[in-house]
Amino acid sequence: MTWPVADLDAIRRLRALAAAVPGAIVAETVIDAPFDQVWAVAADLEDELPAYLPDVRSFTITSRDGERLEARARGYAGLRACFDVVLRPGWCVMRSRFLLGGMAAFPDGDQTRFAFLGGTHLPAQRATAPALALAGRWAGPKVITRFVDRVHQRGAG
Amino acid sequence: MTDTGRLARLVQAAQRGDGLAMAEVLDALTPAVGRWCGPIALQDADDAAQEAMIAILRGLRGLRDPAALFGWARAVAVREAVRVARRTEREQPAELTSLPAPGDPMLAADIQDVLSRLTPEHRAVLMLRDLEGLDERTAAALLRVPAGTVKSRLARARASFRKEWQA
Repeated sequence: MTWPVADLDAIRRLRALAAAVPGAIVAETVIDAPFDQVWAVAADLEDELPAYLPDVRSFTITSRDGERLEARARGYAGLRACFDVVLRPGWCVMRSRFLLGGMAAFPDGDQTRFAFLGGTHLPAQRATAPALALAGRWAGPKVITRFVDRVHQRGAG
Repeated sequence: MTDTGRLARLVQAAQRGDGLAMAEVLDALTPAVGRWCGPIALQDADDAAQEAMIAILRGLRGLRDPAALFGWARAVAVREAVRVARRTEREQPAELTSLPAPGDPMLAADIQDVLSRLTPEHRAVLMLRDLEGLDERTAAALLRVPAGTVKSRLARARASFRKEWQA
């Protein structure tokens, strides 16, 4: 006797997380590339993240323990932040003192469903306008466009 | 630290607004939420599971005892699944024809079909008793209905299930 089970895929989980985080935004797209090609870009945080996130100049992994990473980010405006990261195929969540970032993906035929999350996990009353603006840019249309470009460039290369 | 102790600390961090801890609580609950919502919301189960997870994460601050996470989350998920299933079933009344033949090898499909002939509340009662092993008093508290109502709903759900199954 097999009871039906609901499928809470990675993008649904990212939506649920965003709904609980003040000011969080999720941007979704379907990328015309297979999952492995898409996730190769998403998982390569050190090389790829500065290529599609306009505020980030460098992102350096400082420690790695299975799917848990620590990283140091530097921005163009002199901002520095340390991130705790959980990274596994189809799922990535990054947390600094102020920001929460995330990516989720799953295969859909020959294509890939992909989502970005940008948010601040400060309590609502402390979520400043600049922090919310930065979080919004993390899941903005420019970031999605740049990310998709990187997927296709990497696939062509 | 034990898994229980680690989970309790994650819940406390998530209650303080730590997004990474929220993501880890979400990871821990995902299989169970899928199991709770599937039999109740059926074709809307994936939507129900998402709605349930949103309600759980948003309501997490109100959970007084972090060790009670799973019991509390189950109550939230079951109520959300019933709500989502009711919303759809008002628009699409259940069709009560073409019962599966006894001994049909597509057992999983048979069960899905039989469940679809029960109301969301009956499915919730059946799932809580037969999958989760709750007693009637606990099932009643979770569904926010009097224990006697659960007893009668369970009797009707089981009778209906058996009747459909043996038809």
